[in-house]
Amino acid sequence: MDRSLQVVMMYILTHLGLIFFLYPANIIESTDQGHWIPISLGIIIHIAFVLLYLKGLSFFPGRNIITIYSSFGKVYLILFLLPVFLYFISAAIIIVRAYSEILTIIFLANTPLWALMALLLFIPLFLSIQGVQAIFRTGILVSFLFLPFLLFVLIVSFQNVDVSYLYPIWNNDFSFITKQSYINSFFAISGGFLFLGFVQPEISFQRKKIVIAFAAVIPAFILSVYIPLLTFGKATAETFVFPFVLALDTIALSWIMFDRATVFFLLSLITFIMLFITLVLWKASIIIHHSFPSIKTGYIVAALTIVIYIACLLIPNWQQVQMLFKWNSVLRFYVLFTVPLSICFLGHLSKKKVY
Amino acid sequence: MNSLIKEIKDSIGENDDLLFTEQQLKDLSVVLFGLNSLIDLGPTIKQLEQLGQKNYSNKEKQKQISQLGEIKRNAGEITSLLLDGKLMIAPSPNADFVVSVDPVPVKLNRAIDQITNENTMLGPFVSFNEDSLTNIGVMRKHVVSEKIRVKHFLTGTHNKKELSLIYYEGIVEENLLQTVLKDIKRNSINDLHSIQDVTKMLGITPYSIVPRVKTTEMPSEAAQSLLNGKVILFLDGLPFALILPSVFADMFFLESDKNLTYPLMVSLRSLRIAGTLIALIFPGLYVALVAVNPEVLRLELALSIAQSREGVPYPAFIEIIIMLVVLELIMEASVRLPKSIGPTITMVGGIILGQAAVEAQLVSNLLVIVLAATTIANSTVVGVQNLLSIRLLKYIVLIFSSVFGVLGILAGVFFICAYLAGVSSLGVPYLNFKQSKGDGSHG
Repeated sequence: MDRSLQVVMMYILTHLGLIFFLYPANIIESTDQGHWIPISLGIIIHIAFVLLYLKGLSFFPGRNIITIYSSFGKVYLILFLLPVFLYFISAAIIIVRAYSEILTIIFLANTPLWALMALLLFIPLFLSIQGVQAIFRTGILVSFLFLPFLLFVLIVSFQNVDVSYLYPIWNNDFSFITKQSYINSFFAISGGFLFLGFVQPEISFQRKKIVIAFAAVIPAFILSVYIPLLTFGKATAETFVFPFVLALDTIALSWIMFDRATVFFLLSLITFIMLFITLVLWKASIIIHHSFPSIKTGYIVAALTIVIYIACLLIPNWQQVQMLFKWNSVLRFYVLFTVPLSICFLGHLSKKKVY
Repeated sequence: MNSLIKEIKDSIGENDDLLFTEQQLKDLSVVLFGLNSLIDLGPTIKQLEQLGQKNYSNKEKQKQISQLGEIKRNAGEITSLLLDGKLMIAPSPNADFVVSVDPVPVKLNRAIDQITNENTMLGPFVSFNEDSLTNIGVMRKHVVSEKIRVKHFLTGTHNKKELSLIYYEGIVEENLLQTVLKDIKRNSINDLHSIQDVTKMLGITPYSIVPRVKTTEMPSEAAQSLLNGKVILFLDGLPFALILPSVFADMFFLESDKNLTYPLMVSLRSLRIAGTLIALIFPGLYVALVAVNPEVLRLELALSIAQSREGVPYPAFIEIIIMLVVLELIMEASVRLPKSIGPTITMVGGIILGQAAVEAQLVSNLLVIVLAATTIANSTVVGVQNLLSIRLLKYIVLIFSSVFGVLGILAGVFFICAYLAGVSSLGVPYLNFKQSKGDGSHG
């Protein structure tokens, strides 16, 4: 049956989770003015590759990329799927580690990191064992519960905005492309959409409806950068590790019993991140399951979780996390470019064979 | 010696309510036997006497008797019919057949009553009772259609019970129906006493926090379920319909809501959803805000909460656990106790919870408010089983939030969502967002 809504929701939720924490600082750091230029470049790349990916997938109705690659031989499997797998594992490690650090910094100063990392892994473990359909159903339920919050907070976040910070609009300096911080910003751009190729045949969706998801994700990209920029100005915003979080902290709503109502916003984003980790675990587990069909997916997920947890424990500090971001960018770009392109290419190839 | 009747006598054993008598029905002399705890003998014999008027020859006599009911020759079958309350007539003590007759039964069922446990403001007040045949009749009154199909199954080896299945031909989800039919036929030797037995028979795990089978004593609810493509089971002796499968929406949506206008219905249902959320979140929120993340609150509020907790000698988590346990005990006690003592518990509980505990500074004022709100909100959920699920699930949120604060609340809610999303029974997911039939038919 058509589960486009579930797929669209999952797409939106995971991207929202990825965007609001690290992306703003990366973009703000990458250039001095005209931040919309790097943002739109990122968005364009994102949309282009998602569409390419979807186009490629449309040549193989009802199949996921694992079966597509394996039908073309082992070489493709190793060339494309192995990096994807490694990317997933490294992304999971980085996300769990980074987000638990974020949580201690902005919110839970007294909770030990290992406990937070355990939480960020335990719930995804529990969910990913239940299978892909459960993951997507959770997405729907969670979006019903938490998205209204998000919408509300995004609206009130304009409270302290000063439009004059928009200027100067144009910037002739395109050096941001080579900056590490801009490259890091692709974490939010490239990480979330690969699941579209994994969910079939269990969950089928219409390609056109993914475009709806763009409509929600694109404003998120823009707002996440421009709300802190317009609140603090570039010079101040640049000094923060989490500019968006701080911008939300400036909101004062006298009619709510909470002083930091925005905390709920941030924490619901954390649940979206859990959803993202779940997806990553599940994707990694079915890749392994494809190679070793005799092992139950439950055991694979559990083993992966333990590996990721140990790896997270081994990372001592934030600098190391930044380092990992850097190392991970090679894999990130490889996956971002090769997977959609190769799927599209293979699609054309198989189409020619038919005729 | 080894006559049919002797065999039956042996298999039934030494039961003093086994009636075995030779009876003269006017000119016709017969042997009657049956269980007199199930048969009202006097009127039955009177009814039979009207039949035996004439002088019969032996052959005619046999013929006449056999016309009274069905001829049975198998001892096992006869035994189960006896247990079912049938009267057996044999022409002589060593005849090789008996005739099973429907006697005047002893009244063992209560009349169709008002609903007792599930209240409704607008809607029919008729409820199901313990007799499944009556229940089916009630259902037929509610859904008048030639498409209704009723199937009876005799289940159990030691304890024979009748299980009835009702569905609406053409609307029912075919997969669901086939699975249920297959499971019932395969496991028909299972003894059924409770809903747990029924779920085991259907291959549904009994280790589930949320109900896998929706129970209702309201025929209107059951009727609507039929029209939504579900199947209904009636187990003899259980005064409610078992609706398969149970879905998330059953927690909030009541059929009788549709007797209200649309805006009222929507707001009523949203109220129930909000109630569930409050019941789940409030205890956790209290612990999170008091113990882990007080900075989330406004300063004035945080101070007043801290003030109300002044002198409370243990952490917020212990405080709330103690009070919650007391509260659960009160709720359970008020169900158990006879109606005449019930109010005492309510009063004692009210005084202890509301006044004494606070004045003795064992718990804070705010906690009492939180607990009251939780309990009230919890009760807005539809159905007793769902109420219990929510009551249990709130502890998950509570434990998470005592460790992780506000994050724990959201993580707990997420965890519950994940749990619910993973539940599916008979191939239908618990979080089935499309209520009507057709799930799975789009390929």
